[in-house]
Amino acid sequence: MADILTSVFRTFMSQTDVNKDVTVVPHSDSSVSSSVLLPGDSSVSSSVLLLGDSSVSRSLLLLSAVMAASELGVRVVFFTQTQIQSLPVSLQKCVPSPESLKKIKFSYPRTLGDLLQQVAGLHESQNTSPTPPSLIIVDRLEGFLGGNHSEDQTSAAHLSALLCDTSSFLTQILKQRSPSSAPCRLIASFRSDVDSEHTGGESSATDPILDVLDRYFQMRCTLDRDRSYEAAAAGLKELWNVYLSATGITEDACTKEREDRPAAAPKEWQLSISPDGSMEFKMA
Amino acid sequence: MKMRSFLPAVAEQLFRDIQKAYQETSQIPDDLLIALKFVFGPCALQALDLVDQHSVTCLSSPSGRKAFQVIGGSGRLYTCFVSCHYCPCPAFAYTVLRRNEGPLCKHILAVYLCQAMAVTQQESVSDPQMSALLSGTAPL
Repeated sequence: MADILTSVFRTFMSQTDVNKDVTVVPHSDSSVSSSVLLPGDSSVSSSVLLLGDSSVSRSLLLLSAVMAASELGVRVVFFTQTQIQSLPVSLQKCVPSPESLKKIKFSYPRTLGDLLQQVAGLHESQNTSPTPPSLIIVDRLEGFLGGNHSEDQTSAAHLSALLCDTSSFLTQILKQRSPSSAPCRLIASFRSDVDSEHTGGESSATDPILDVLDRYFQMRCTLDRDRSYEAAAAGLKELWNVYLSATGITEDACTKEREDRPAAAPKEWQLSISPDGSMEFKMA
Repeated sequence: MKMRSFLPAVAEQLFRDIQKAYQETSQIPDDLLIALKFVFGPCALQALDLVDQHSVTCLSSPSGRKAFQVIGGSGRLYTCFVSCHYCPCPAFAYTVLRRNEGPLCKHILAVYLCQAMAVTQQESVSDPQMSALLSGTAPL
């Protein structure tokens, strides 16, 4: 499951929804970290591909990193090509402690080759002691994959496979050190070229790179700008629909595991972004 | 190997049957060879050739990280991951990724067969060597 993202959604829920959540879902917002993460449950899917607008994705990735570091107290590695200038506005209302921010390591690979080398090196002792990272984030995969689709399919497969294999290895290390540890999770964002040519957001399945990414990532989190009447009526706020869904190949393979899974978290959320940039989530 | 979850159930069962038969008789019976050819097509014979030539090595580094290395027919080395399907060979790029015609190439199939038959070679590498192999920046 996209557990870290779901934690983010729950934490930044609008107040009316927090109350609703207590009655609908058997765990309250205050216990979000322990209840949503299902520590030790290895059947929890641990890789999520975040699709859609790059700047909203980036804010969500940053919120996820800060949530994981401050609420869960785990180490995070955050790969991005562009320097982080500031934290999302939503975090300014509940400023994370500098100690927890130190758990996030920002890395700035410039090319695909740099990124592959840095991810491949995560198993080395300088990266796993005292504790290995429990969350790997890659901002804007498309920035690392160039314009040649046939070569990029291979690059996308190599990068995705390396990321998944690395998170699987780090999960193994985390469990060796503490059997009750949650798995090492992976969240990467991607904005499809094909998608940006259309406003409907329905065309993404035809992107050959996205087809490859879907082979490796277990969940998709799709951000879709809501342009309905309701959205227009919301005035200055931007409304986004957020959908969580399982992806192609791994979906069938994991069916057995999923049957045993506890009550699933909501699959649809609505995100509203105020003009000042603050984000608020509602269950759809 | 965890990467079995990427395979259809019929293939997983086939590898289990091969493992059992090979443990008991040190060979793969004809019916399983036919099934292998049926499930994986021409890839099956090529993969069995690679198995015969002891082409599959499991590399381990001090960190505990593992990866498979397969020597292709041309002598080129291909590094494959232990937990998911990826091979840098042209057939994987074309047949698996682009045309979506099957779940794996002959190199990955050879890894599965060697694991089932317990004939994978073992080799140690340093952590930086492992990183270079995983990132595709250096052959061994």
